[in-house]
Amino acid sequence: MNTEHTNQRVEQAIANDARTNELGVRVECVEGRVLVEGEVASAERRDAVLTVVREHVPEAEIVDHLQLSDAAEPPRHAEVVERE
Amino acid sequence: MTSSDAGIRIAAVGDVHMADDLRGRYAPALAELNGQADVLLVAGDLTQHGTLDEAAAFAEEFATSDVPVVAVLGNHDHHSGLEQEIAALIARTGITVLEGEGTLLDTERGRIGIAGAKGFCLGFTGRCAANFGETQMKAFTQHGIDSAGLLRHGFDALDRAEPRADVRVALTHFAPTTSTLHGEPAEIWPFLGNHLLGEVIDEAQADFAVHGHAHAGSERGTTDGGIPVRNVAQPVIRTAYRIYEIPVKVTAG
Repeated sequence: MNTEHTNQRVEQAIANDARTNELGVRVECVEGRVLVEGEVASAERRDAVLTVVREHVPEAEIVDHLQLSDAAEPPRHAEVVERE
Repeated sequence: MTSSDAGIRIAAVGDVHMADDLRGRYAPALAELNGQADVLLVAGDLTQHGTLDEAAAFAEEFATSDVPVVAVLGNHDHHSGLEQEIAALIARTGITVLEGEGTLLDTERGRIGIAGAKGFCLGFTGRCAANFGETQMKAFTQHGIDSAGLLRHGFDALDRAEPRADVRVALTHFAPTTSTLHGEPAEIWPFLGNHLLGEVIDEAQADFAVHGHAHAGSERGTTDGGIPVRNVAQPVIRTAYRIYEIPVKVTAG
């Protein structure tokens, strides 16, 4: 299958699969490897994305570039918002 | 009506995508809100898959806020077809959930009115879906048009209230402007927002607007009419919430 089609198929699976429903993850298949990029909110969600990827391209080596969201700290200051 | 010099302080976050794995992530910061902000707005995608268990996780986490919480739903909250049940469950914990409605809160610094609606896709001027052709295309487009109508209903409700709000704010999930979408691929902007939402905000002469949905967008923008807009999607703001202070127009009386 064309590489672009594979990328699209796996991204759609990550968006549609009930275990993930992640819309912001991108994959790119390159020479037997699949790069997985984007941001997810927890380690559990990263594992779920990688499971779905593995199921769709079981022959590929997975390169995990997923980032975890920052811990939700309170902000340090308020912004005064006025019309320009 | 007179008000103190300081403006009304609005805490806001969107796209928290709560589920059991995120329980406890926001509660410590929410417990610090009192004294920092007058209200917390949550701009949709309260849950990850739109399930009732996730809605309960959201409600229990955000009910720990010590200031009033006002929310709209997002597309993730609709995914399981349980949006009405989710809204009802969350509302039972004291959180206000808006869809085509307005709500008013009296604070020490003045009266704030919030008009809320989820919004929808459609696109922006020149790059916009048209209400034409196949039934499915017209249904998609009409939902975008209707979503802006719901936001207008929210402002209409605020404008019927007496006394009038000192500060009027739009709360949506989808974006009312492209100015907070920079960072997202331009090809998907029609799926991230809707120019009619921006028109409603401009026609209502709102003071401020917040939205979420665009995780890779940018925080600061304005409507075409110059009204300040903030994209508070959590992956954009990277904190538990942001706090915005909106000056209160002081009038004699």
